[in-house]
Amino acid sequence: MRERLQKAVIVTASLLLPLALIQRFYERRPPYFAAPRTIVDHVDRIEHSQRQTILLLDEVRPLIPRGAQVTCFRVINGKRESDNSNYLTAVGQLPHHVVLPPFAADSLSKSEVVEYVVAIGEPFNSPAYKVIAGFPEGFLYRADR
Amino acid sequence: MFVAGVLLMTLFGAFTWRMESVRRMDLAARVAIAFACGVVVGGVVMFAYSVIGIPWQRWTLAIPLVLAAALWRRDAARPAGGTPALLIFVLLTIYGVATARETTGDLLYFWGPKAQRFFLESRIDVGFLQFPHYYLMHPDYPPLQTLIYSWGAIAAHRFSWWGALYLTPVFLLASVLVFRGYSRNKGFAILLAAVLAYGIGSARSAGGADPLLYLFEVIALCALTFDDDSAIASIALTGAVLTKVEGAAFAIVVLVALVITRRIRALKVFAAPALALGAWILFAKHHGLLDAYARGKSTLHFEQLGMVVKRTLGAFILPWIAAIAPLTLGRNWKRAALPLLVAAGTLAYTIFFYLHEADPAFWIKTSAERVLLTTVIALIVAGAAASSDENVC
Repeated sequence: MRERLQKAVIVTASLLLPLALIQRFYERRPPYFAAPRTIVDHVDRIEHSQRQTILLLDEVRPLIPRGAQVTCFRVINGKRESDNSNYLTAVGQLPHHVVLPPFAADSLSKSEVVEYVVAIGEPFNSPAYKVIAGFPEGFLYRADR
Repeated sequence: MFVAGVLLMTLFGAFTWRMESVRRMDLAARVAIAFACGVVVGGVVMFAYSVIGIPWQRWTLAIPLVLAAALWRRDAARPAGGTPALLIFVLLTIYGVATARETTGDLLYFWGPKAQRFFLESRIDVGFLQFPHYYLMHPDYPPLQTLIYSWGAIAAHRFSWWGALYLTPVFLLASVLVFRGYSRNKGFAILLAAVLAYGIGSARSAGGADPLLYLFEVIALCALTFDDDSAIASIALTGAVLTKVEGAAFAIVVLVALVITRRIRALKVFAAPALALGAWILFAKHHGLLDAYARGKSTLHFEQLGMVVKRTLGAFILPWIAAIAPLTLGRNWKRAALPLLVAAGTLAYTIFFYLHEADPAFWIKTSAERVLLTTVIALIVAGAAASSDENVC
């Protein structure tokens, strides 16, 4: 009797858990059977903050010379946000470049700012930079020296 | 190619096929054990190469791999019989990673960047870890996960983000096959597969170190609970302490449980993990990387105890029920004593960790499902042990 009950409990749990998992998967947005463009396409009910960043970094990677110094941040009202996640994502997505934190684009002198800026979302308003490429996800800037 | 390269590390674990406890298992469990032990041995080799200055190249790593493979011994394996239900959970996990539904952010923020850099530099890149602006990548975090990813990248000649994700169903399948091999209980093996697939998917931990940690935890617990197999347990605990900081806490809890239950001489099990962790901490200290292992003096916030306990226990309702309900119907409690003590200990240290934060609500929300899966695994091992008439004590 005890064994039968235990078996019934295990079977029930083993049926409920995958159903609960499928429900979680379903909540994480359609499409359900299309190849995703990034590794974070469906991790939440809303778009992951790094999806746009990964797509933009894919676009700008061939435009930045290997070994160049670069930073990456989201732009709000023309100014950079102090976010760590975009910058850390850029370290992984630009393995052949030297990725520096966002404040490296802040220096008062044009000669001291980081050479390339990957600006996510809006244009980056800075006299130290000129835009060299634009994409739906953001812009690539180079120091205007 | 990335995943195939990592699977090749199984050859490092060929020596396990000569061990009596492993030879008693079915073929699938033997391969899974060899794979798990292989990634530990391979990781230790890569770490040793970094310490003594040998660059990671295909040929430099192939030499110890071939030597290790020579220890393989062929003999007839016990048939396991099929457990096709396991495939459902593996396929669900494959679907989850293939559609990017269970990716951990940590893969993006530090596991991937570190592994990629180590691969490009052909060693553990100390300069990268020392760079102050990469501090958020946890410079002293145990290296095994990044070493495995670097190994895969060396095999494939490039790092693969998707390859890292696809290792998750591999770790899940290996965990369940080892469990089935030791416990010989197909019902609980299916339950473990269901809980792991749900837990990893729900917590979005694919691509992180947790699925690898679960594999080592399952092996260590099963080896000590079902077979008094100190050698395999020792290798698995070495893997655990080299995979995550929580792995060291898990190993200490297993040590305490072993001492209480007086099952086998604890020194036999803990010499290798202590040596491996000590070597990593010394390496980190020597290069000025110590961070997580040097936080012993942080303040405890006991005023948060009620909230922490409530939120921690409430974070994972369905797996708790799935693990505890069949356990209550067991009867061989003496056999289940060790995993039950480990379950209690892992729950205690999880709460203890959370008490170090003044306001841990967000931390609990984002990590409890992932961390508590260790406790749930221990409860399932206890359930299988308690439901068996066999007495190995």
